Amino acid sequence: MTFLQSIVPGLSRPAQPAKVETDSKLRPVLNLREDEHGYNLTVFLPGVPKENLEITDHDGRLTIAGRRAWTQPKEWTALYRETSRANFELVLHHEGDIDVEKINAELKDGRLHLMLPKAEAVKPRKIAIN
Amino acid sequence: MTLVRYIHPRTTTLAPAFSRTPWLGLESDINRLFETALGDFNSPVFEHRFPVDLYEDKDNNYVRAELPGLTREDINIEMVEGYLTINGDRKVTDDDGKVVETISLSRSISIPEAIVADKITAAFEHGILTVTLPKREEVKPKKVTIAIN
Repeated sequence: MTFLQSIVPGLSRPAQPAKVETDSKLRPVLNLREDEHGYNLTVFLPGVPKENLEITDHDGRLTIAGRRAWTQPKEWTALYRETSRANFELVLHHEGDIDVEKINAELKDGRLHLMLPKAEAVKPRKIAIN
Repeated sequence: MTLVRYIHPRTTTLAPAFSRTPWLGLESDINRLFETALGDFNSPVFEHRFPVDLYEDKDNNYVRAELPGLTREDINIEMVEGYLTINGDRKVTDDDGKVVETISLSRSISIPEAIVADKITAAFEHGILTVTLPKREEVKPKKVTIAIN
């Protein structure tokens, strides 16, 4: 057995439990753009209505969690599936350079727009010379 | 011919030579094959292509497509010879709401059953398009009485 393990390293690896789709989180597709005022974040959250979306900021971790609203009716049989049923979760780290109080969020047709203004302290400043 | 996406073989080149066994390369090759074959289904938005589901119940076929960020006006649905084609334009806007880029999305799905084409309906909510395709009623056996002269 040890000889076999030495030539096939995968055999000594512990078996991994099957992934349960409902518990796993899907990282949504996003687009982040920076300008001098702040960051423009676009996140694609198909199937997530406003009431199922939660945006929290704690300890420099901006978390966007979206739950899908749709469940497959009992009578429906899936013939072909490509979409995932996993809920969305996105965690972005920042170092206090965002003015959390002034974050502006807008969700429309499964697309979330977040405007994250830069904190005044990190904005470029002109210093007057006496 | 099948096209296999090229993935840089970092596992094989970066593995230290002493721990390398003839199986290690094979194992990473197999993993790579699985990733190329299955990888696309895990990503919610693949460029120019979007994930679709096909369902059925006793009366209808249903197609669900993930089209986040589109509006009803951007979506065009056609049913031609057993194929349902969904076309959409994803508009990328700048801060002022001006369209800077339009990405065309398109998918064709083969519908396995006979469909009443003029009774197809569609709904769009939270970035998900649901198309309902009513199944054609089976041609019922007709009873014809023939008079004998």
